Amino acid sequence: MIKRFIGILALGISLSAFVETPNITGTWTMGLEGDHVIPVALVLKQDGQKLTGTIALPTQNAGHRVEVTLSGEFVDRAFKLSGTVEGAKEPTTLDISGKLLDDGSMEGKFEMPGHGHGNMSWTAERLKERK
Amino acid sequence: MFVTCKHLSRREALKGLGVTIALPFLDAMAPAGRALSATDRKTRLICVEMVHGSAGSTAIGARKNLWAPAAVGGDFDLGPTSLRSLAPFHDHLTIVSNTDCSSAEPFTASEIGGDHFRSSAVFLTQAHPKQTQAADVQAGISLDQLYAQRFGQTTPIPSMRLCIEKGDQGGGCGYGYSCAYTDTISWASATRPLPMVRDPRVVFDTLFGVLRLDETPEARREQLARDRSILDWVQSSVARLMTRLGPGDRARLSDYLDNVREIERRIRAVEVFSSSGEVRERPEAPPGVPDSFSAHVKVMFDLQVLALAADVTRVFAFKLGRDNSNRAYPESGFNGPFHPTSHHSGKEAKILDFATLNAYHVSMIPYVLDKLKNTPDGDGNLLDHTLLLYGSAMGDSNLHNHKRVPFFMAGHAGGALRGGVHLKAPNGTPLANVMLSVLHKLGVDDIANFGDSEGTFAL
Repeated sequence: MIKRFIGILALGISLSAFVETPNITGTWTMGLEGDHVIPVALVLKQDGQKLTGTIALPTQNAGHRVEVTLSGEFVDRAFKLSGTVEGAKEPTTLDISGKLLDDGSMEGKFEMPGHGHGNMSWTAERLKERK
Repeated sequence: MFVTCKHLSRREALKGLGVTIALPFLDAMAPAGRALSATDRKTRLICVEMVHGSAGSTAIGARKNLWAPAAVGGDFDLGPTSLRSLAPFHDHLTIVSNTDCSSAEPFTASEIGGDHFRSSAVFLTQAHPKQTQAADVQAGISLDQLYAQRFGQTTPIPSMRLCIEKGDQGGGCGYGYSCAYTDTISWASATRPLPMVRDPRVVFDTLFGVLRLDETPEARREQLARDRSILDWVQSSVARLMTRLGPGDRARLSDYLDNVREIERRIRAVEVFSSSGEVRERPEAPPGVPDSFSAHVKVMFDLQVLALAADVTRVFAFKLGRDNSNRAYPESGFNGPFHPTSHHSGKEAKILDFATLNAYHVSMIPYVLDKLKNTPDGDGNLLDHTLLLYGSAMGDSNLHNHKRVPFFMAGHAGGALRGGVHLKAPNGTPLANVMLSVLHKLGVDDIANFGDSEGTFAL
């Protein structure tokens, strides 16, 4: 009886560990919900709780993008990332918070203090990379 | 029908100095003793693209049937849809809804966000464009060109490509994509995009072989001042031909030449206005381009009908818009700019505004369908022997996705399509499957794949 209980407990612990440590490394198609949904590339690399990556943001010059390096943490299916947008008169910081949903997509908030379109919700789906 | 004994060649033309006017199909051209049947002639093809998808491709739009009708099969109501202006042509319509253009989606991280710069290249190719701003562009051969290469080689012009918005921008248009992907929907091969013509005068001169060797602005102004028609140069040729025709053919030829003269007059009127110093709404456009969207589209359709009637060409690709255009369409009853209107934030009121623009763009189509229907062709009319397809490679332009893309066809394609039907595809069906089946129906039946097709689609 005790052996069976320990077995079930061990299985439960290993399953919960498997479920609770998802990896969000990869390329995500992120939709920034401003006056319309702006698709941007969010590329993440997860190493334990450490999270790094890039986001490619459109600039005011139509058709051009600027890539911003991000760093932060991923804990309990939620993350915070921050980075600095270079190239403007004043470097602008951006903060991204988000969480991984049960269906495998993500959602969260995007903030660029002092920027006109700086506070937006977003959703993201993992890109199915093809050649 | 009156079949004369004086047989005319299908390639008979009216010729004058620097001008060659092909003839419409006349009874006298029928093989001896019988009328020309549909099977003697190849189907004409008109491929029309309007960019930025449709309001009906949104979740709200799908529920409200803003693009496709609610009912599948033959008993459908176009009332709530953006296709309502097509109701008089119910029996000629084949609406295919709920298909996707996944070749227009991003395949890699660097392609994310570049949907506006990819979509037009996908519409008729259903192939994924290579992300490049250099000359090494790559997509796929387009449906119109597959057809033209097979069945357009016996006409004076294998195919023509027309557009309404400014193209030929060269270089890169954004997100690492060449403007070639945005400027045309027609590809002769995977690496050869074909230019599109915006100026009705160029189309007219191309169709009627008008030489413009002296094309300086001064010469043009002088010619406009003289107000001469190309028909003036073929008068004696017309007179000679009339003596060889029966009464029915004489009337048909006379109507055709009246149409040529009327279209020429409209083009000239626009050129005169453009050269008058008056302020133009579209100052960057060539002199023959009307300011009005509908006037421009209609004269382009008139030229297409003339060309199809005279069998100068059997294939047209026609691009009504350009991605990211901020053009307004006040004749639609809504004056908002196109691109921002298509980015409706998912809000119902704004989606309905976009649906108004969609309906307006579709409302250009009955004009050409009516012209085709009223143009005799062999044992029927041109609409019976034509396939017009209309659509976009984008679905919900607010999300920049490529799902539930708008698409319909009109015409019986020489009996290949029965019409009068709405077909709803299972979720995830590639539009390429439909296009593969269209090609099979048109006689290009020895290809097993087209773009990202996964099979055929029962039409």
